[in-house]
Amino acid sequence: MSTPNIENRQPGSHEIGVVANPNAVSDALVKLCRDLAVQGTPAELLVPLELVLAEVMNNIVEHAYSDHSTGEIAVEVNLEGPSVRCRLRDQGQAMPGLQLPREKEFNLANIAVEDLPEGGFGWSLIHSLAYDLEYERKDGENRTSFRIDLAS
Amino acid sequence: MDISSETIGTITLLKVNSERIDAAAAIQFKDKFRDLIRDGSGNAILDLNQVAFLDSSGLGAVVAARKILGEGRQLELASLSPAVDKVMKLTRMNTVFPIHSSVEEALASHGVAPAA
Repeated sequence: MSTPNIENRQPGSHEIGVVANPNAVSDALVKLCRDLAVQGTPAELLVPLELVLAEVMNNIVEHAYSDHSTGEIAVEVNLEGPSVRCRLRDQGQAMPGLQLPREKEFNLANIAVEDLPEGGFGWSLIHSLAYDLEYERKDGENRTSFRIDLAS
Repeated sequence: MDISSETIGTITLLKVNSERIDAAAAIQFKDKFRDLIRDGSGNAILDLNQVAFLDSSGLGAVVAARKILGEGRQLELASLSPAVDKVMKLTRMNTVFPIHSSVEEALASHGVAPAA
């Protein structure tokens, strides 16, 4: 069982270590969003925040740690006025080409059922909802940061 | 992943009783869906009223479910939460799936009254 270790430093500031597997990510997001809601974070921020965090974290689980049996994702979430600033760190493999994947474009008009895309939605959602999206590889770590605000 | 199913005429009505269709639940969703629609021949209506969270993996599973039905049967979605609605619109999957505001409306569009 993986229980996310959540320590609250100050109201609206959360630092979590999450074991890199889908169940731990799911449990950590439920708890984080419940805590943020209790602290008064509006749904207009929580909905895009949970979605972008899920996409970035699941990408780390599936790709950065694809060759590891275990790994951890460090997540920092800070409420800054009307927006939320997030920083994620992991020790998995670097992003190919040391940059974040671009948004995929799908042509869905008159598409046959068997040709419907089943993946590739993640980065489209991230690019649509996150502001100031940045990635760097430093000291053997992937560092991804972004901001969610009320316009997300 | 808890999905309950009911047959109304030729329609298979599937109610998702879980709060999340996410990366942790996507495979279970697809497997369960496949089992539940096997014996039907008409459209399936997926009642998402209880689903508060859908991520890209969950959306992928819903698309996979659509493919399991094949060209002859449609997958219709009903009662989307604001978060699920947002994902459908951002990915433009709202152009692929018929979306109904409620199960009652979905059934009424087929001229069927909800089971008593």
